[in-house]
Amino acid sequence: MGSRLTIAGRELAGLRAEKTILLAVGIQLFIAAFSSFLVVGLVSMYDPGALDGAEIEVAAAGDAVDGVERAAAEVPGASVTAYADAGAARHAFDRNAADAVVVATRTDEGRIATAVTAPDATVETTVVVVQLRELLRAHELNERAARAPHLTEPPLPLPERSEASPYFAFTYTVLIPLLAVLPVFVSGALVVDSITEELDEGTLELLRVAPVTLGEILDGKAAAAVAIAPGQALLWLLLLAANGTSVANVGPILALMTALTTLVVAVAVGLAAIAPDRRAAQLLYSVAVLALFGGATAMDGGPANAVARLAIDSADATTGALVAAYAVIAAAAYLGVRRVVVAEGLGR
Amino acid sequence: MIDRLRGGGARARVALRRVLRVARWESSRAAGGVDRRTLAAAVALVAVAGGVVGVGVATGVAGFDVDRDVYRVGVDPASPYADAVAADPSLRAVPAREAALGETTDATVITVVAPSSDGPGDGPIAAARVDEVVVRATDTRKGAAAAASVREAIEAHNERLMRAEPNETAAFPLTVTLRYAERSGGPADGPTLGGSGGESATGGDGATGGESATGGDDATTADGGSAAADGGSDPAGDATDGNSDAGDTAADETRDTAGDTVDSETEDTAGDTAADEDEPGEATEADGPAVPPVGSGVFGADTTGSPSSITPPFPFVSLLLAFAFLVPMNFLIQAYGSSILDERTNRRGEPLLVTPLSPAEIVAGKTLPYAVAAAAATALIALAVGGGALSVVGVLPVAAAFLGATFVGAMFARSFKELTFLTVGVSVLVTTYAFVPAIFTNVTPVALVSPLTLVVFDLQGEAVSAGQTLFSTAPMTLGAGLLFALGLGVYREEDLFSQKPVTRKLLDALAVRLSPVTASEARLSRRRLRALGSVALLTGCAIPFVFVAELLAVAVLFALPVTVSVPVLLVTIAFVEEVAKSAGLYAGFERGVFDRSDAVAVAVGVASGTGFFLAEKATAVVQVVGLTDLFLGRAAFADVAGLSGHAPAALAALLAAPLVLHVVATTVAAAGAVRGRTAYAVALALSTLVHAAYNVGVVSLG
Repeated sequence: MGSRLTIAGRELAGLRAEKTILLAVGIQLFIAAFSSFLVVGLVSMYDPGALDGAEIEVAAAGDAVDGVERAAAEVPGASVTAYADAGAARHAFDRNAADAVVVATRTDEGRIATAVTAPDATVETTVVVVQLRELLRAHELNERAARAPHLTEPPLPLPERSEASPYFAFTYTVLIPLLAVLPVFVSGALVVDSITEELDEGTLELLRVAPVTLGEILDGKAAAAVAIAPGQALLWLLLLAANGTSVANVGPILALMTALTTLVVAVAVGLAAIAPDRRAAQLLYSVAVLALFGGATAMDGGPANAVARLAIDSADATTGALVAAYAVIAAAAYLGVRRVVVAEGLGR
Repeated sequence: MIDRLRGGGARARVALRRVLRVARWESSRAAGGVDRRTLAAAVALVAVAGGVVGVGVATGVAGFDVDRDVYRVGVDPASPYADAVAADPSLRAVPAREAALGETTDATVITVVAPSSDGPGDGPIAAARVDEVVVRATDTRKGAAAAASVREAIEAHNERLMRAEPNETAAFPLTVTLRYAERSGGPADGPTLGGSGGESATGGDGATGGESATGGDDATTADGGSAAADGGSDPAGDATDGNSDAGDTAADETRDTAGDTVDSETEDTAGDTAADEDEPGEATEADGPAVPPVGSGVFGADTTGSPSSITPPFPFVSLLLAFAFLVPMNFLIQAYGSSILDERTNRRGEPLLVTPLSPAEIVAGKTLPYAVAAAAATALIALAVGGGALSVVGVLPVAAAFLGATFVGAMFARSFKELTFLTVGVSVLVTTYAFVPAIFTNVTPVALVSPLTLVVFDLQGEAVSAGQTLFSTAPMTLGAGLLFALGLGVYREEDLFSQKPVTRKLLDALAVRLSPVTASEARLSRRRLRALGSVALLTGCAIPFVFVAELLAVAVLFALPVTVSVPVLLVTIAFVEEVAKSAGLYAGFERGVFDRSDAVAVAVGVASGTGFFLAEKATAVVQVVGLTDLFLGRAAFADVAGLSGHAPAALAALLAAPLVLHVVATTVAAAGAVRGRTAYAVALALSTLVHAAYNVGVVSLG
């Protein structure tokens, strides 16, 4: 045990000396800050109602203008002013008195045709279009309700609107899984580097004249890598908690991260042992990890979804079983790889 | 003269031959490193994973729903709402009798049934009997999000119901034609302003025509509707078509690069209608603009359909495809970084150094195979996703930036472990810098700072002018070149095989580019002026990286409220600029290139500040694309903006103020740099404060 700890300590000391781990944390901080930029930017484009005071002014005209006005009363974020005719409405648009023009006319078939004009190529276009869509959908629902007797199957009544933060789902289903899983990949890459570097420089031979077995060396290197990833994940969860995002099931999440890191480290050790040099090993490792996680994410109970469900507190017995299953698979994979490598020996 | 030219040509030929020889050697080595078995294994891995996922997605077992089952919703299995909940992947239905709000569920759907003679039965509830529905949610953010998801799920369910409805008029009573128009000022709007409104109300008929042509399926309505609606394909409607509508349509059509047959028809319509009206001249104007003004036409064709089929102009698919171009780069730089660092471990690169090859030739040769691979991969992806030459032109600078940054990283790294972190850092930085501006492709011309925006334009089928292409690609290409120059400076024996922290390596690389400045020398000797010139040049070369850092800072701080983000941004920008101006000076003092004296500090401080000022002014081209229109952009590029429209004296003062600022702040930092690390840190903080105070002044005055 002692020799394993010594080797793990040596690995960690190497990382500390190079201060590269700071770079890793810095990269993650950057990603976290950037994702909030992305999410606030994108969500406010898609759901401008989430921004305070995002209200658009619509100039309406046409013989069916009353329906548009009724719909506007139901939709927050859009107010409608009726104009005598389409030219007047368009004029209001041109002199910036309105954000958009809606001309609603009844057709011979009994439909309502709405010609909508939105400003071209400006920052607010997306906001305007999204709000217009809400307005017109409300209008559509009203009209549809009026014609319900003609429908073979009426639409289901809708519940009240609720004020939900659009960032909520993104934070739990994308940001937290991403920040938790990223250190796992880096840990595996570290193991690949650590082993191929020792092979390359011949220092592994020196280590082997010391009274340690190859298995112990592998254990030590793996332990160092496995220790880092859950530690980084914990750091993130604490940061998020400090930022007002409560994360449930921290213990199971860290257990899941440990299991995943062990699995990835097993892959890394195996590839480092068989690949001819560092370049090949890293290439194979990246491809393998991408394939592994891409495939797993697409499956029911993939790691990203498991983290999301744990963090948002929607976990049930199956999620717990899933974490246990990952742990068993990871342990089996590492022990299997270790056994083969110890039997076959490292090197090309 | 001719002899010299001939000599130069011969030298260039020799150099080219040498570069190619190194490239051949490198590619054979790379092929040996990544042998066939490795490659086969990688391909097999991808194929197996792709196959499994593909089959899973095809059979509906798998899907990339990251939000699967995140909300638990209690619903009576007999209620028609159970179907709606079951169809939404993010909702997990909990049978109503097991549901306990706040414990096993986040929201509960309560179906209120109209009283009927049958009484409450056990069978399924018919949708027609539902009177209303109440969603009760926990009083948390999660509960609110769950309730909102339930409402969306019901809306989606209704939409599906309506699509199956035989009575289309009742199911989709509204048809919408969305078109984008510029506000007055554009000639296209002329007829609209002049046209009387009476007829234009009937302009809606054009939309109806389009709609009725595509009627049936909702999906086809959304896609196929635009051309029909634009063209007003219903000939009967033409006679009554309003002037304004026809004018608009013509203008829209001329912008449409697709150039379909409807085009001529529409223009005819405009002409005809205009002839009927009393203002034919303006209608001709409407036909006029064959060349789109910058930034318009970006939104592509108009859309027609039911209200829910309206989508905001967001180039999602093009963005996703553009991202595909960046994926192979990440693998490429891993191999490239390994190859460079390989030379540096165990002094493997030494034999190459003693050959007559120059370092530049060695590096060019070693880089060439990877650059070729990047170009080949880019061309292949362009073929696969339907991009043209413009896509390749847009991606190549990004590839160069990836390679340049990796080269510097591999020159500075001490070990493969460190290189891994540096490579990940390079990937993240370059990817975000290339990708994030491209998101705003259709929103603001600033997006062109990323060459990837060109790819998005290309995939959307938009035309891009040569000027835009140049603006978009030149800075990144220049940046990549500067990175290679930085790394090349330390491609020599004493630096290649030594191991130092990355920051010290960076100082070495900077100091290489400086010439000695001594305290005893005559103040204006030619040698000294040349040395100071190299200081100014070094600082000037930092400008592209300063802008990148500032843009990234704008993006990162974007999430904060403006009251916080603008002050933080001003200080950050000041800090970035002060570091850029004084890092080289610190390197000069630390490496003994400059004499440690205050007189030298003042001289190099003035030189560096002036170099920065000149380089910054040279980038005033930024103004051309209206970067300064953005509020945050104005804060970042305040010095560049607002030079026009001032009297010469005021203009001179406006020019002099930043010059004085840069010179003073840098001299302060240089005075600290003379005295060692701690003093430099203190002086840097001081100069940052001075600079930030100035920035605050400029922003509050402007």
